[in-house]
Amino acid sequence: MREIFDFFVRNSKWLVFVFWMTAGCFLLFTRNPYQQSVYLTSAGRVAGTVYDATGQVTSYFNLRSANDDLNKRNAALQGEVIALREKLQSLGEVSGTYADSTAPFPALAHYEFITARVINNSVARPYNYITINKGTRDGVKPEMGVIDQNGVVGMVNVVSEGHARVLSLLNPHFRLSCKIKGNDSFGSLYWDGSSPRTAVLEELPRHTHFKVGDTVVTSGYSAVFPEGIPVGTVAGHKNNPHENFFTLNVNLFGDFARLGNVQVVVNNHADEIRKLDEENARTEGKVNIP
Amino acid sequence: MNKTTLNMLLLTLALLAAQAVVFNNLVLFGVAVPMVFIYAIVAQPVTLGTNWSVTLGFLIGLAADVFADTYGVNAVSCTLLAFVRKPVFHLYVQRDEDPGDQLSNMRVMGVPAFMKYAATMVLIYCTVECIVEAFGVYHILRMLVRILASTVYTLLIIYALDSLSLRRKRSN
Repeated sequence: MREIFDFFVRNSKWLVFVFWMTAGCFLLFTRNPYQQSVYLTSAGRVAGTVYDATGQVTSYFNLRSANDDLNKRNAALQGEVIALREKLQSLGEVSGTYADSTAPFPALAHYEFITARVINNSVARPYNYITINKGTRDGVKPEMGVIDQNGVVGMVNVVSEGHARVLSLLNPHFRLSCKIKGNDSFGSLYWDGSSPRTAVLEELPRHTHFKVGDTVVTSGYSAVFPEGIPVGTVAGHKNNPHENFFTLNVNLFGDFARLGNVQVVVNNHADEIRKLDEENARTEGKVNIP
Repeated sequence: MNKTTLNMLLLTLALLAAQAVVFNNLVLFGVAVPMVFIYAIVAQPVTLGTNWSVTLGFLIGLAADVFADTYGVNAVSCTLLAFVRKPVFHLYVQRDEDPGDQLSNMRVMGVPAFMKYAATMVLIYCTVECIVEAFGVYHILRMLVRILASTVYTLLIIYALDSLSLRRKRSN
């Protein structure tokens, strides 16, 4: 008995080391992006409060460039409004009352937006996250999309009462269904970790027509983002002649190093869509067509 | 609680706060990340038992993980760093020259010995941290650049911080 005790005392440093390494590895290997304790993230109470305090100071730093971006976006939107008005008018002339009863963006009708401020953000790590200053109290829930004036930013991942952690677009865990504007074939966009300004759009069908500089937008084939939110532009493609799909390099619109104010996308039909998906998954294979 | 323990605890808290609020945002060229909080492990007195050092290392790493959303990356790296601290220290300082229970800094160890010790520790940390963090994301060249850039950057800031201990000595 005494020998066993002596053995433990003699080797205690190895035992303590193995114990803490095991605890660390447990955290590391249970790194599931969707189910994580809020206490171990930047959305937790302590980290959230610290970042809130610093965010109040640093939010003034990039105001000039944020203003420039907003002005550009404003100009682009104004142009779009004018173009759409003209289009509506011409449609109205053709079909009488039809144009008046149609919303300009029917796809956006069931989306609302919650404005939030970025209080912590990283771009240099292999898995990047963003912390925002809105939480369950303000109606933010996991799996809601996050956008800013330049386009897609990420997706809400862990939410506490007053804060939320967002899976950045610069995180390989996040995959986004995208398409090339004016084209209906879609692919899956993800960040490959090479540069914070580029991402990869893969599984785009080979018959898709595109050219360098074309805009990549969200496809709208999920409950997270509306259709047509800008993501980036096509920079070129890695062509493998033996594959049936294109893999494109995409220059991202978002300047992730300078995120300031963002909008959380609230899809009022998300629960309905999710319920349908669950129902589908449950009944899959059970339906017999006579 | 003696003076060294109190100093060490205050230093640890201050470094963790500075890491979360300042240094995590001072990334250079998208590759060089200053991991300044590991100075809290580097500066531990050599007489601090390995069990305590490793336990403190894990807790320091975990705290850094919470702020940076890195889940165990820093916890694992800091635990390992704390475990190799004593052997690395004795690579550059003979056992009979042990400075006792004072913090390991330039004032106590001398500039050349401290810089060699700190450079080895920072390199070990940055290597382990980058490999563990990039697990599954393979960009070997980018990883090597990141390890070297982060090591040099971190070492420069640690040198600047530790110079404060030298200045204190001169003013005494």
